[in-house]
Amino acid sequence: MKQQTLRRLISLGMLAALCIFFSVLSKSFLTANNMLEIVRDAAVPGIIGVGVTYVIITSGIDLSTGATMALVAMVMANIYKYTLIPIPIMILVGILVGFVCGVVNGLVVAKLHLPEFIGTLATMGIFRALTYIIAVRDANGTISSVAMNHSSYAILGKGFGRIYFVSIAFVVITIIGQIVLKYTRFGTNLYAVGANPKAAELSGINIARTRIIAYIVVGLCAAIGAIFTTGRLQSTTALLGEGFEFNPIAASVIGGVSLSGGYGEIIGTFIGAIFMAALENGVLKLQMNTAYQYVIKGVIIIMVVIFDAWFNSVMEKKAQEAAAGKEA
Amino acid sequence: MANNEIILEAKNIYKSFSGVPVLQDVHFEVRKGEVHALMGENGAGKSTLIKIITGVYSKDAGSIWWEGKEVQVNSYADVQKLGIACIYQELSVEPPLTVAQNVFLGREPRKFGLIDHKKMIRDTEELIARYGFPLKADELVANLGIGLRQLVEILKGLSCDSKLLIMDEPTASLSGKEAESLFEIIEKLRDQGVSIIYISHRLEEVYRLSDRLTVLRNGQNAAVLNHEQIEPRLVIKTMIGKEVDESAGSAKEMRKNNNEVVLDVKNFSDEIGMFKNVSFQAHRGEILGFGGLIGAGRTELMRAIYGIDKHKSGTATLNGVELKYSPKESIKAGFGFVPEDRRNQGFIPLLSTVKNVALTNYDIVKKNGTSISDKDERDMGIRAIQQIDIRPDNPDKEVGLMSGGNQQKVVLGKWIQRDLKVLIVDEPTAGIDVGAKDQIYSILEDLASQGIVVIIVTSDLQELIRVSHRILVMRKGSIIKEFDSGIVTQSMVLEAGSGIVD
Repeated sequence: MKQQTLRRLISLGMLAALCIFFSVLSKSFLTANNMLEIVRDAAVPGIIGVGVTYVIITSGIDLSTGATMALVAMVMANIYKYTLIPIPIMILVGILVGFVCGVVNGLVVAKLHLPEFIGTLATMGIFRALTYIIAVRDANGTISSVAMNHSSYAILGKGFGRIYFVSIAFVVITIIGQIVLKYTRFGTNLYAVGANPKAAELSGINIARTRIIAYIVVGLCAAIGAIFTTGRLQSTTALLGEGFEFNPIAASVIGGVSLSGGYGEIIGTFIGAIFMAALENGVLKLQMNTAYQYVIKGVIIIMVVIFDAWFNSVMEKKAQEAAAGKEA
Repeated sequence: MANNEIILEAKNIYKSFSGVPVLQDVHFEVRKGEVHALMGENGAGKSTLIKIITGVYSKDAGSIWWEGKEVQVNSYADVQKLGIACIYQELSVEPPLTVAQNVFLGREPRKFGLIDHKKMIRDTEELIARYGFPLKADELVANLGIGLRQLVEILKGLSCDSKLLIMDEPTASLSGKEAESLFEIIEKLRDQGVSIIYISHRLEEVYRLSDRLTVLRNGQNAAVLNHEQIEPRLVIKTMIGKEVDESAGSAKEMRKNNNEVVLDVKNFSDEIGMFKNVSFQAHRGEILGFGGLIGAGRTELMRAIYGIDKHKSGTATLNGVELKYSPKESIKAGFGFVPEDRRNQGFIPLLSTVKNVALTNYDIVKKNGTSISDKDERDMGIRAIQQIDIRPDNPDKEVGLMSGGNQQKVVLGKWIQRDLKVLIVDEPTAGIDVGAKDQIYSILEDLASQGIVVIIVTSDLQELIRVSHRILVMRKGSIIKEFDSGIVTQSMVLEAGSGIVD
């Protein structure tokens, strides 16, 4: 069996084990409605995870996704509150803001050559600060949350019955993300840049462009995430998405994307996002202190990373031995 | 087979780096369908010449002709367009991708904008079949050993219809069997009309493969030999120049024989065969030289004895006590280690001489078991500067800003503050100018005269013969020859290291 297929099955197995665990302890876990809710909760981190997976495959990281979401939402909130611009155009402006955030990240990392971690940590601060600067204030000048409850916007938080639009978007974006990764030159280039940039360069791949596009995809995904989130909340605040950047990264890692670059795929991230949502949901169902959730998440991530390092070395060794056996 | 049509010609090439001439009036030509070897000692200008041909460096003067027309090459992309592919020593493949993806990286066949995987696999299988490589198009490169990865890179070069392949030490990291299949492939390619520039230190390979051989010496053409003329002793003589050969080694004073064994290494082997069953003894006050080709396992052996890397079996004892194979314990026992990669492993560039010298000696400058005495630390740095004439003599100068020779003196300076019993130096004068080299030699000789065992690993034959009292030559992980330095010549060492004799 191929390594990738096996790794996918392992992610699925972990998810199944988690679900069995919670369904034994709580009757309300394994119900159709709860499952659909889990998918809904997984959707936004999963959508952003598509872009983040691209960036991690190039051996980068993006810490600014939560702040990007906040900035996108706050720009839209200003338009919503102070102008008569129609909702669809407001949404397009929001997506444009996400695009610009991606471009900024890409330039900082690929053109100014900042380490990804520091570069996006800095832009995270900048995007968040910009959000505060343009935040909508009440008569006393205090930052307030902004209602965005027009029916043609709030519909984004709904769905066909219990199949939420955001879940549909999650599945569609995942499929597109996987196709782009496997069937376009850009997708192949992501792996090439992440695994051996020198070889990529010798093959005529534009490394800077590839990395910038990856960050733009993250920005766009974060904008889509922000739109669905605010549509569901029917409001936004300057605090939107704080600490959220952790979730898409965690989803990627659990799905087998290697933080050292070169390995991973969107299907893994999809499963990883659902895993995280199921974990959160289960912890709530068991009425455990939600603080434990973070402990459990952290421990699981550590275990998965250790497992992956071991798994990859074992698989490589096995394959090399097999190849050597063939030669002999 | 080779005809006389010339495919590539480099004429009257000149190149210098910051005023130091590296290539002078070099002429180099390759015929269609020939394997043309390029040889020369380290620093003879081989890789500079190749980098000029492949557009990595610009030339100061001269011209490059491709298929009868003068060409300007400014980047590797230009060169690829001509039909030249370079197989680098460090492989440039992408492990997470398949063989087919690697071969077509950056120019994948597409249908409706999406990559046509089927066609890509098919085309790759065709290429594989045409050249008879033992590869599978849809195999992940991560799953291939180093030899097969190299074939992937060669295949990639061939897939662009390359007419000339440049191979830089292609067998450096291959096993004997892998090398053998590479040779067969090279011969097959030649029969199909592909020209190959083959750079190697290994005479046996050059003899086996090449139709012609160009030898460079000190940045100049030393000879172009036809296959019939490739005779080991002649080639070596051409490479090192006769005059040097005969004078070296003989002038040195012979060390008084001292039979007190200090370091005793028995049956040392590692996991992957970089060194196998190595045994040797080093005596008090002896400078023991390790010769051989790059990749013979000398550095790996020393690192394992000192304890940086693990070994599988065998023992090393210092004055009868077995070592603990950890750098910390080895230092305690009286070892010093000057690594090959000075800049990354030898010192901390941003720290001053004082701090660098103190770094390995905090057990000495510790005042009362916990805090460090600034004064002791400073005194030690100043002492080192005086002992071995480090320049500039400002103890607070950042070591990263000094010349290579003085950097190396700082590295030596920190070790000589200790009560050393054995000092291992690996390529101690690489990249260091001639004056500083002499100073480093006299420091090493000084240390030996104090009874310290100095083990020197060097690829510079002149240096090996000049400094060592006794020379062990390694080849493919084993010690294959021992020489007393009074009677040895550079050719003898080189012949032993390349496996021509014995």
